[in-house]
Amino acid sequence: MKCEQISELLPDYLQGSLSPDQRRTVETHLEQCADCSEEVAIWQKLSLLPVEQPGPASRARFEAVLQAYQAGRSNQPAHNSQWRKRFSSWNVFHWLRSPLGAAAWSAALLAIGIFAGLRLAGPKPPSPDLAAMQSELANMKQLVVLSMLQQQSASARLEGVTWSTRDQQLDPRVLSALLHTLRYDPSVDVRLAALDALSRHSAQPQVRSSVVSALQEQQSPLVQVALIDQLVEWHDRDARPHLEKLRQSPNLNPAVRQRADRAISKLN
Amino acid sequence: MTLAPDEDLMLQVRDGAGEMLGVLFDRYQTPLFNFYSKLTGDRTLSEDLVQEVFLRILKYRQSYRPGTPFRAWIYQIARNARVDHFRKFPRQTALEPEMLPPVVPSDSAQEQQEVELLRRALRMLPEDKREILLLCRFQELKYEEIAALLGCELNTVRTRIHRALQELRKSFHQLTKGTAS
Ligand SMILES: [Zn+2]
Repeated sequence: MKCEQISELLPDYLQGSLSPDQRRTVETHLEQCADCSEEVAIWQKLSLLPVEQPGPASRARFEAVLQAYQAGRSNQPAHNSQWRKRFSSWNVFHWLRSPLGAAAWSAALLAIGIFAGLRLAGPKPPSPDLAAMQSELANMKQLVVLSMLQQQSASARLEGVTWSTRDQQLDPRVLSALLHTLRYDPSVDVRLAALDALSRHSAQPQVRSSVVSALQEQQSPLVQVALIDQLVEWHDRDARPHLEKLRQSPNLNPAVRQRADRAISKLN
Repeated sequence: MTLAPDEDLMLQVRDGAGEMLGVLFDRYQTPLFNFYSKLTGDRTLSEDLVQEVFLRILKYRQSYRPGTPFRAWIYQIARNARVDHFRKFPRQTALEPEMLPPVVPSDSAQEQQEVELLRRALRMLPEDKREILLLCRFQELKYEEIAALLGCELNTVRTRIHRALQELRKSFHQLTKGTAS
């Protein structure tokens, strides 16, 4: 058989879905044809590419979105008018901390998300009205994010971190709130999520230096490991002395020490 | 741990049990992340897109029909999410080498080098060719499902895979020669 005919069979051969007869035909051809057998070889080589793992905070981010979504769904119709009335009052922050407020801002965030999604789907350029509305929404979102980061419940703060990642550019106030969260938030999940969010903004000098200093302050092995991995991902060679210092601290979790050792050798 | 088929779980999500989406998230976040990261070379973007896919599933869950293979359905959403993203942010930074993850150290230096060359060769392919290889090699999609996804004939899928492999092979060879000399 000619290569042309074989090449029609090859994709199914690679998936193992040929009949035994066809398979033998292909294999006989492969033995004598370098061209076709190289195609098979490159297919097999593709399995060498390692499976990459998403970041550790990815699951938490999903949970936060799911919660925001479910809260928004069950409260959206009932509190729509409340939302308007209350939002115009000056005491927005206080209100956002109340359970009712919490439910309503979930709904509002959802509306923002859907609004953004709809705009994205339309091919037309935004009209001036839309642009104004969009910037109004952006301000509102920042306000909401800032307030979320100060909530009592860890899951609400987690949502705040998550929503902050939806912007390509961070508002400076949101940035410093995230940095504060990374260092001082009582919940490990929230600190991890903050690190994840901040890792997108590594071009900002404060971000890197905060990660380095958090390394010395954090007690949770989970966070320590995430910080170390982040520094490796950035190829941050300046972090080496800090890693050395960390690995010498007494009572360090052995897994963390091992991670630090690996990081030090990778940053060499 | 639940062993329920994806489709059953998705029907439960559709009927309001949003929490069941967590099981599907655990099953699909890594494959989807790899689809995106091997396609775009950008880890951060890939994580964002994975989140976007699951948000869309929540939003559009009512559109899931019984009998639809979930895997094919979620990859449809995944492709759309990517298209929409690049419509919004025309690519400025796609596939910069430094955005790729560092090569994981392995036992043999030669294998490590092959992986790196393969990665680069894959990156040199036009995006549609890279995508079809990812779909059939890493995402465990059947050719029929890929045909439905891309909106083309089954035979076209076969031809495209053949061509993509040919081109990948060529690039890989060029790169291998380049490092040998
Ligand atoms: Zn041949």
